[in-house]
Amino acid sequence: MKKTFRGGVHPLHGSHEGKAPTRDKAVREYIPDTVTIMMGMHLGAPSTPCVQKGDRVKVGQVIGTPEGFLGLPVHASIAGEVIDVGPVQGLGAVPGIGVTIKNDYTDEWVDDIEPLGNVETCPKEKIVPAIKKAGICGMGGASFPTHVKFAVKEGQYCDTIILNGAECETHLTADHRLMLENSVRIVDGLRAAMRALDVKKGIIAIEDNKPDAIEAMRKAANGRDGVEVRPLKTKYPQGGEKQLIHVVTGREVPTKKLPLDVHVIVLNVGTAAAIADAVIDGKPLISRITTVTGHVNNPSNFRIRIGTMAEDIIGECGGYSEKPGKIVLGGAMTGMPAPSDIVPLAKANNGVVVYNEKEALNLEESPCIRCGRCVEACPIGLNPYKLKYLCDADDLQAASEADIMDCVVCGSCSYICPAHRFLTPAFKNMKDKITAAARKKRG
Amino acid sequence: MAKKKSLGAIVKNGLLSENPTFRLVLGTCPTLAVTTSALNGFGMGLAATFVLIFSNLIISLLRKLIPDNVRIPSFIVIISTFVTIVELVMKAYLPGLNKALGVFIPLIVVNCIILARAEAFASKNGPIASIADGLGMGLGFTFALTLIGSVREIIGNGSIFGFQILPAGYESMLLVLMPAGGFLIFGLTLGIFNAITMRKSGKEGANA
Amino acid sequence: MNLFLSSAPHVHSPQTTRVLMRNVLIALAPCAGAAIWYFGYSALILMAIATATAVFAELIWQMLTGQKVRIDDLSAAVTGLLVGLNLQPQAPWWLAVIGSLFAIIIVKCLFGGLGDNFMNPALAARGVLLASWPVRMTSWVLPTGWNSYADAVTGATPLASPGSFTLKDLLLGNIPGTMGEVCKVAILVGLLFLLVTKTISWRIPVCVVATTFVFSWLFGNDPVVSILSGGLLFAAVFMATDYVTCPMTDKGQYIYAVGVGLLIAVIRNFGNYPEGATYAILLMNIATPLIDRFTKNRVYGHERKVKKENG
Repeated sequence: MKKTFRGGVHPLHGSHEGKAPTRDKAVREYIPDTVTIMMGMHLGAPSTPCVQKGDRVKVGQVIGTPEGFLGLPVHASIAGEVIDVGPVQGLGAVPGIGVTIKNDYTDEWVDDIEPLGNVETCPKEKIVPAIKKAGICGMGGASFPTHVKFAVKEGQYCDTIILNGAECETHLTADHRLMLENSVRIVDGLRAAMRALDVKKGIIAIEDNKPDAIEAMRKAANGRDGVEVRPLKTKYPQGGEKQLIHVVTGREVPTKKLPLDVHVIVLNVGTAAAIADAVIDGKPLISRITTVTGHVNNPSNFRIRIGTMAEDIIGECGGYSEKPGKIVLGGAMTGMPAPSDIVPLAKANNGVVVYNEKEALNLEESPCIRCGRCVEACPIGLNPYKLKYLCDADDLQAASEADIMDCVVCGSCSYICPAHRFLTPAFKNMKDKITAAARKKRG
Repeated sequence: MAKKKSLGAIVKNGLLSENPTFRLVLGTCPTLAVTTSALNGFGMGLAATFVLIFSNLIISLLRKLIPDNVRIPSFIVIISTFVTIVELVMKAYLPGLNKALGVFIPLIVVNCIILARAEAFASKNGPIASIADGLGMGLGFTFALTLIGSVREIIGNGSIFGFQILPAGYESMLLVLMPAGGFLIFGLTLGIFNAITMRKSGKEGANA
Repeated sequence: MNLFLSSAPHVHSPQTTRVLMRNVLIALAPCAGAAIWYFGYSALILMAIATATAVFAELIWQMLTGQKVRIDDLSAAVTGLLVGLNLQPQAPWWLAVIGSLFAIIIVKCLFGGLGDNFMNPALAARGVLLASWPVRMTSWVLPTGWNSYADAVTGATPLASPGSFTLKDLLLGNIPGTMGEVCKVAILVGLLFLLVTKTISWRIPVCVVATTFVFSWLFGNDPVVSILSGGLLFAAVFMATDYVTCPMTDKGQYIYAVGVGLLIAVIRNFGNYPEGATYAILLMNIATPLIDRFTKNRVYGHERKVKKENG
């Protein structure tokens, strides 16, 4: 029997988690006329633009230099002329700096790419610098700079690398298609990551609603050192980092600690493929697979260039099939709502889902009936109904004593709540407040 | 501060704004136990009022003589004197009521309303004001007990002060005469009393 | 373009409060049907009065206190119908009215409305009615058919005179009792519906019945007759499972259910009342906050036993 974690929910279970329209659609290349590349696509300080309006850039050229410990370089995803450098409204509350490039369709690459060649024979110590140079961040949604995950501190060690191919989010099939079509690349990326830290064990975890992906990955992993494919039960949030580690290794990440403290590194399958590109070909992260689905005429999977506008890619799908009510970048459980369809897609955007006006309907909060469904659903074992009262009372002290900081903001409680109480948003808000208060206290 | 108040204000204070039952929620034990009829409540209230007035008076007179360390025993001696008087008088002239109230008459000795007024008012104020306070508090207690007793008697027995007021076909609700019903009616009257007085004071505040 | 912005998650479970309450009403329908089949039009009228009173009481209360009117969540209808089903079939109409008023106004609305009542409103109402008008509440009649008052024969319930009914009568409901409790088959159909629609979990009903079974047997009664007699099954399925007043965690629900089952067996065997389901559940309702407090789930990444710091 497949092991699983406590709690969890089955969103859109009746309609194949909303994945049916795109899961059999092969990935198509899409090269837009213009791209707007944001400087703040990763967690951490935004990069500083190093090109000016009117410059000509080549594919893979660095256009933003990293800032700070969590900084990453940003690369041009198409060749052409820089037509604007300035504030762009992305998903955040305030506009960020973006670089807009007009495509000249030469697709000319920069000259300074340094391929390391075969992942099994290349020098190990060059792997992590290559990952950093390629500007790779977590491509499952959290966008944490990948090279930082490999920064093993004194006294720590890593014995297992888990590739997250669960794709437990609704609607998305980007990772699914990637595993079907680029399975060898994924395994290459995993091997590179394993070799970088001398890890003996690499596990590729995939939910059992993707039997074809499990099959393809098994085939690709066959004969590779220490690589294993592990099917998982289909349940949200199976792909959550803490849940995944618990299910795959039986270890629990202690509260306020990182996966590396239990000797595990978790990478998204998309990240692994990007690592392979960076190591084997020396190419930076300039494209990714994105699912465009929902109320569009022809839901599809695309390999898009970073910085493609949502509007363009929806147009490529044949436009809206109904008047859109909400556009969400990402799956239904954790995706970010877009203020309009004129937003650029970033490194971590694994999907664009269009909801019609009926589905976007604002829900009204009604009294808690203490049914206990949230308690049952919480994969962490918290008491969401109680935390919500503490959040409503704005009681930071009591909320942190009730372990709100352990909340992973997966949305399970909000999803299941029959009274439509705004649990997850309140918790996210509260966590931000507590973090801000702690930072202020530290000075 | 309290000295500045007129005697009427002190009496009114006990009746309404600091009603011992509804506001201070003191002496709930006799309140719940004896209010099965309006008459019982009324009798209990008067007995407590008598004790309150005289114990307040004596304690107020002796307040400078009683040493601080032994004040509580002294209060209790004084209070129990008057309780004994009440009990003996009741036994002699109102045997029925005495039987109905039973052990709750001697228990007036430890009624926290009386002890609380002795401690909070009589031991700090002059005799006249203390009498007024005892009267106000006593009447407030009597009013509350009679009210609760009436409600419980009407619902539980269809009568008030022993007179049948509801038609003979009325099937009385036994629960309100039981202890559980006592709590229920006490809570509801307390809620309604406070709702009314708060609304009133809210209006007064708005006018002023 | 006018897009709606709201935080994740962007999909919601189709099980809303209203859907859950509707499921309970549907699950109660077989019981109500059986009651009408056995006890005739007076059963129908009583249930209608109780339900209507409950809904109107909540409507008027919410209007008077300036709250948002939420009678469309059907919770008041469920309470009202449960009050009705807890009456004996020839109870006077005013019992239904007082029961529903007490349940809605005093137990539910005064404590803050839906979700804040500290005990099951319908059961509390039953407890009050039972204590206030014991004769009216326990004048049992044998099933009469449609014409309720034709020739009603009083009879003792199986709990008061065990052994006077066949197992088939106990199951089908051809016995005296309150309207909801008589037909066990109807209750089981309702339970099945609630389980299939995932409205309730199996834990509480099964554990309550199993505990009563075991303890009745230990106390020397016929355990099968015990669980088929009185209001046990009805209470275990529809009353003990009230969301608001039962514990949240699995562990808590086991403790709660075993407590209810044990108390029922104890009250039946050693108490003054022939039936103990009402008081057993009310007692455990009151214990629920305490159970919740001591049966918290372990939080991921925390030590199994919380260290007690400074005592």
